[in-house]
Amino acid sequence: MTAQTTALPSKRRQAAGPGHPVSIPGRERQRWLPWAFLAPTILGMGLFTLLPIVASVLLAFFRWDIISAPQFVGLDNFVEAAQDPTVRVSFVNTLVFVALAVSLQLGLALALAILIQERLPSWLRVFFRSAFFFPLILSAASVSIFMRYLFNEQFGVVNWLLSLVGIPAVPWLTTPTGSAAVVILVYVWQNFGFSFLLFIGGLASIPVETYEAASLDGATGWRKHLHVTLPLLSPTTLVASVMAIINALQVFDQPYVLTRGGPGDSTRTAVMVIFESAFQRLEFGQASAIGVILTLIIMAITAAQFRLSKRFVFYQ
Amino acid sequence: MPGSYGKLRDISRRTALSALGAGIIGATVASWPRLSGTDIPGRGDNSLSIAIMGTAADAAARQRVVDAFARVHPEIRIKVQAIQAVDWKDFFTKILTMVAAGTPPDVVYVATEGAQLFAEKLAHPLDEYLRRDAADMREYFSDVHPSLVEAFMYKGSLYQLPIDWNAANMYYNTAALRQAGLDRPADDWTHLDFRATLAAMRKARPSDFTPYYWTNRLFGGVVPWLYANDTSFLKETKAPGGTWLWDTFYASDPSKSLRSGGYQWLEPNADDPRVFESFDYLRGLVKDGLGVRPEEGGGSSLIGLFASNRIGTTPAGGYWVQGLHEAGMGENDFDVQFFPRWRSQRHQFGTAGYAIMKTAKDKDAAWEWVKYTASLDAMRLVFPTPNTTPSRRSMVNEQLYAKTGPKHWKVFYDTLDRFPTTGPIPAPAQQAAVETALMKNVSLAVSGDERQLKQALDSMQRDLELALRRHA
Repeated sequence: MTAQTTALPSKRRQAAGPGHPVSIPGRERQRWLPWAFLAPTILGMGLFTLLPIVASVLLAFFRWDIISAPQFVGLDNFVEAAQDPTVRVSFVNTLVFVALAVSLQLGLALALAILIQERLPSWLRVFFRSAFFFPLILSAASVSIFMRYLFNEQFGVVNWLLSLVGIPAVPWLTTPTGSAAVVILVYVWQNFGFSFLLFIGGLASIPVETYEAASLDGATGWRKHLHVTLPLLSPTTLVASVMAIINALQVFDQPYVLTRGGPGDSTRTAVMVIFESAFQRLEFGQASAIGVILTLIIMAITAAQFRLSKRFVFYQ
Repeated sequence: MPGSYGKLRDISRRTALSALGAGIIGATVASWPRLSGTDIPGRGDNSLSIAIMGTAADAAARQRVVDAFARVHPEIRIKVQAIQAVDWKDFFTKILTMVAAGTPPDVVYVATEGAQLFAEKLAHPLDEYLRRDAADMREYFSDVHPSLVEAFMYKGSLYQLPIDWNAANMYYNTAALRQAGLDRPADDWTHLDFRATLAAMRKARPSDFTPYYWTNRLFGGVVPWLYANDTSFLKETKAPGGTWLWDTFYASDPSKSLRSGGYQWLEPNADDPRVFESFDYLRGLVKDGLGVRPEEGGGSSLIGLFASNRIGTTPAGGYWVQGLHEAGMGENDFDVQFFPRWRSQRHQFGTAGYAIMKTAKDKDAAWEWVKYTASLDAMRLVFPTPNTTPSRRSMVNEQLYAKTGPKHWKVFYDTLDRFPTTGPIPAPAQQAAVETALMKNVSLAVSGDERQLKQALDSMQRDLELALRRHA
C-alpha cells in the first residue's frame, strides 16, 4: 500500500504541475479502489465459504429433512452423533487412517525426493516429478473405480500377478484389513506426489555449502540427511504435514467408491458419515453437527501441529 | 474544443477500469433473469417435467413416447430430465436435492427402493384418478399381476402404476452346466440341489471360474435367500385398506385374498434363527470356494464376467437379457431358472413406475402422462428390447426374446404366477439407512466363522433398530 500511495501520485503531480497538491477526489478514489478490486473475492468468499459455514453451524442445532420446515432441537444432534456407534467408529477410522496414510505419504515422498534429487540426472528428475504428480490431477472417483477392478479378488490383476509367484488370492476388498490396506494404498498413491513436490522444492533450497561443511566434519551418507537434510527441511515438512493431515481427515472418494465403507464399518470415515446422514438419510442437522465436530478436530490438530513446530521446526 | 479535450485527458486509466467494472456488474444484473429462470427445464413455461434415472441418451429414447403423447394430448408439453446416478439411492438423493433447491420435477420414475419414501413424503396418491378413470384402467390392471401393484400400495393408497419389474431369478451358463455333466435344474430345485450344482461346476473348472457370483446390495444379494427361507431381515406386515382397488380391478383374481393396503417394514428381524440359517448357508458357499465374498454395489462388471464364461450362476432379472446379448452371448449360451426353493420358493422382485409429486403444478396433466405411459402403445415404444421385464404380461412374449433368448424366458412372468407371495424389495421410507445397515454387515457375516456371523447379525439388528427409529 505504501508503494502505491507514493508511486501513483507522482504522475498526478506531474499532470497537476509542480507544487500542486493531489486533489481530494483522487485520494478518495485511491482509498476505495483496493476495496473495489478485492470486492469480487470478498463477495465470493462470503457467499460460497463464510455463509455456508455459518449456515452449517446453525443447522447443527435444527432437525431438517429438506422437505419439512427446520425444527430447533438444541444440542440433540450433537448428543445423537456422540451416541451413534457408527459415528464413533468412523472418527476412530479417520484418525487411524490419517496416522497411517500421512506417515506413509510423507515418508514415501521424502525418500523419493531425496533419492531423485541426489541420484538422478536432471532430465530424469523432470520425468519423475511429472510422473509422481500425475495421479493427483486424476479424478479420485475414476481412479478408485479402476483400482476396484485391479483389486477384485477373483478377477483382479493384482491377485493374478500374485498367483504367478504362488501367492493365493487375497480378499482385498471384502475383509476389514484388506479393504483398509487398499484404501490407504490408493489414497497414498494418488496424493504423495504433492508432498513429493514440496520436498523437492525444500531440498533445492538447502545450501550446498551446508552439506560441504558437514562432509568436512566427517558426516557421510544417511548421517548427513539425519543431521542436515531433516532439520533444514523441517519448515517444508511442517507445511506438507499440515496439508496432508487436513486432506486425509476429509477422505471420502476412495473409501466411498472402493468399499462403500465396508466390510462392516471398517473403512467408513467421518466425511462418509456426513454424506450418508445428509444425502441418504436426509438428516441435515445431524450431518452438520458431525461436520462441526470434524472441523473442531481439524482445527485442534492443526493448532497442535503449529504449537509443536516451535520445538521441532528449524528456520535457517 | 480545447476544454473538452482537457476533460478527456482527465479520465484516468483507473476511471476507465471502474467504468468497465460497473458496466460488467450492470450487464450481469440486467441479464440475471435469463441466468436463473427459464434455463431451468420446466420452469418458466407450463411444461410437465419428468425426471428419469439415466443419461441424455435415455431421455432421447423416451422421445418416441413423448411424441406419441403429444399427439394424444397436444395441450400438455413434456420435458424429460435424465438424471445420471450410480443406483436408485443416488438418484433419489439427486431428486431430493432438486426439491431442496425449489425446482422439483412434476413426475418422477421411482423404483421399489424409493416407493415408500416418495409415498410418505413426496408423492400424490393416484386413488382419485383411478376411481374416476376406472373404466379406462381396467385393461391395464387385467394385464398386470397384482403382486406388482401391491408393491406400490402404501397405507391403503396406490402411488404408482408398475411399468417394468424384475424378479431375482437364477441365471446360469449353459456351457458350465454341461461341463459339470448336469442338465437344466428342475423348477423346484432346492438350496441343497443348488449347492450340489455349484460343487459340480467347481470340480469341472477348478480355477479362473466362480460357480456363484453375487453382490452385496438390496436386490439380488442376500434377500432372495432370506425370502426363499421364508424370512427377511425386516419383519414384514401388511397395512389395512386398499380393498376398493382389489375389488374394482382384481375382483376375480385367485390371489385377491392375499392383497392388502401395502407392505410395512416396521421392525428389524436379523435375530430370527432363519436369518442366521440363510447367512450360514451363504457363508458355507464362500468358505468352500463355491461363491464369492460379495462386494458392495459391484454389479457393473458382472455382465462382462458372465459373458466371458467365468461365472456359473448369478441371481438377476429380465433386465440382464439384452446386456448379455450385446456382450456376445448367444441365445443358447445362457438360461434362467426359478430361484431355488428352501422353506418356500418366494422370490424377491423390484418394480418401477411414475409417481406424481405433491408439488406438481398440474396434477391432472401429470395423471394423463402416468396413464398414457401405462398403455400398451406407450410401453411397446419404451420396451422394444428385453432390457427389463415389462409389467404387462402380454408383452413378455416369444417375440420379445426371439433374438436374444433365453430359451426359458417364461420363467420371468411365471415367477409371479407360480409363487403369488413373491414380494418386493424390503424398502421402508427409511430405505437408505436400512440398506446401509444391511449391506455393511453382510460381508462380515459370510466371511468368517460362526461367531463372527453371530456378531455381524447382532450388529445388523442394532443398526436396523437405529435406522428404523430415524426419521425418513
